[in-house]
Amino acid sequence: MTQPVTIIMIEDDEGHARLIERNIRRSGVNNEIVSFQNGTDAMQHLFGADGSGLVQKGNALLILLDLNLPDMTGIDILRQIKENKYLKASPVVVLTTTDDSQEIKRCYELGCNVYITKPVNYENFANAIRQLGLFFSVIQVPPAAP
Amino acid sequence: MTAEAQRRRAFWQILLIAAGLLILAVISAGSVYLVNKAREDSKWVVHTIEVENQINSLLLEIRRAESSARGFLLTQAEGFKIDHEKAVEAIVPALDKLTRQSGDNPAQRENVEKLSAAIETRLGQFAQEMEFIRQGQPDKAAALIREVVSTDATAAITRIATGMIQEEERLFRLRSENADRSQTFAASMTGIGSGLVVLLALISTWLVRRSARARDEAEARLRDANVNLESVVDERTADLREANDEIQRFAYIVSHDLRSPLVNIMGFTSELEELGGDIFHRIGSLAHVSAEGAPLAPAGPGEIVLDGADKQLSEDFSEALGFIKTSIAKMDRLISAILNLTREGRREFQPVKIDTREMIEAVVSTLAHQAAEAQAEIRLEPLPDIVSDRLALEQIFSNLIDNAIKYLKSGVPGEIRIRGRTKLGYAIFEISDNGRGIDPKDHQRIFDLFRRAGTQDKPGQGIGLAHVRALVRRLGGTMSVSSELNAGSTFTITLPIAWNESNRNAER
Repeated sequence: MTQPVTIIMIEDDEGHARLIERNIRRSGVNNEIVSFQNGTDAMQHLFGADGSGLVQKGNALLILLDLNLPDMTGIDILRQIKENKYLKASPVVVLTTTDDSQEIKRCYELGCNVYITKPVNYENFANAIRQLGLFFSVIQVPPAAP
Repeated sequence: MTAEAQRRRAFWQILLIAAGLLILAVISAGSVYLVNKAREDSKWVVHTIEVENQINSLLLEIRRAESSARGFLLTQAEGFKIDHEKAVEAIVPALDKLTRQSGDNPAQRENVEKLSAAIETRLGQFAQEMEFIRQGQPDKAAALIREVVSTDATAAITRIATGMIQEEERLFRLRSENADRSQTFAASMTGIGSGLVVLLALISTWLVRRSARARDEAEARLRDANVNLESVVDERTADLREANDEIQRFAYIVSHDLRSPLVNIMGFTSELEELGGDIFHRIGSLAHVSAEGAPLAPAGPGEIVLDGADKQLSEDFSEALGFIKTSIAKMDRLISAILNLTREGRREFQPVKIDTREMIEAVVSTLAHQAAEAQAEIRLEPLPDIVSDRLALEQIFSNLIDNAIKYLKSGVPGEIRIRGRTKLGYAIFEISDNGRGIDPKDHQRIFDLFRRAGTQDKPGQGIGLAHVRALVRRLGGTMSVSSELNAGSTFTITLPIAWNESNRNAER
């Protein structure tokens, strides 16, 4: 059962979100992107109303996570994702403006797969996403041009 | 307590001690004088008694002479005669002695003269009596004795002697009284003086105790003030530290949040650039279509050649975007620099023992490439080892040596010297070069963030020296520069030889 990966983007800055989305599309990744502008909505979506994460059972997810959110820190979201049995296998890409080595270390310790500092080198970024997606499941590529 | 009061009390104490000394001296002198006087008086008393004694013994001798003369007259026994002669012999020296002894008293001297005359008369009568007896005329002798008794020679002697004794007794009373008075006076003087000294001692003790109490109180107040001062200093230090942390946090958050919009600006500038490319591509293809009348198959970008006004527009567009991108890149670097500075400011220092020479050699070797390019020679003189944060020191020396290499005079082989010495617990390092130097009016400016001086022909953000100075300050040191344009520069760093936690606490 191969299932297309859904990209969950948790990013409060609309501009950043748009740029990320564009670059993902430009690099030829055509998967569905679900974006959230704050942590609460994202948590609701990921863990469901009961907070167990059962709603996402069997879904292939790739999570793009900004650490600086208006209502909670990305670190908390990352920890909860990696502690949830249904979600912990989903790759998480942390996107942030901080290049603080302590914070990077902490994210990797919590189980993040890639840590990307903004301003983003979008070529490398798209590459990382593609590889993560391939590693996990199927990446939808656009149908060949007619 | 005021200084005035203290001076007054000191004055009083000195006065008291002086008064005590004076009284002691007076008592001593008075005692010596009075003791002498009492001795003198006693001598006079003794003298009086002696005179009285002498008179009595003289009278005794006269009686003895008289009674033995009578005995001889009655019995003609040789024993009485010898006795009489002995008594008569004793009378004259006794009289002489009395004359000598009473020489001091004119009244008594007169009495003595009278007595002498009476005694002489009586002695003459004795001699006559004895002569009569020897010649065997006892009747004549008896008659003479009767005559003598009836005359007043003996009575005169008795009277005068009694008078003298009375006079001496009067003198004895007088002199005894004198002696008593002297002694009483000496005793009372000693008593009163001692009392005064004791009183002064008591007052002195009281004053000393009062001043001791005042001193204790002052000490307590001083101690309190010290404790207060310490707590005030602690408070201020805590405030400063808090303010510093606040600034650090502020700088961190500001630079962090500035980055967010910058990401958008940068990203969408790139988007714009691409859009621009697409737009001009379309313009170009449309121009070609209209010119040649035939649609061109979609081709890759770059194949379209714009001409005339379109080319100008495209170039202007690219130029504008180019400036925007350069500025963004610069802004990004500045923000990164501030972030790095605040991060450095938050880093905890780890004091370790550092072999300074070995550390600077390592720094120099990482700069060897630049040094070779600039034809610079770096010379290390003996350097003192210190205890400090290794990374901070590496950054300090790396920045300064890098600057020295960067700002050499072109065409002149560089010579960079690193010297060190110690002074009063501080290590002083000097990094000097023969480079282009710094105008004295810029000496302050070069330590400011993002500020540079001199010809701007080398890449840089104006961060290095600001960073170095912040590090040196955090390590409890100071730094300064001395330089003239075209005459090289010398940067002097003074660091504590042994940096530790307390240094930092004092510093931060």
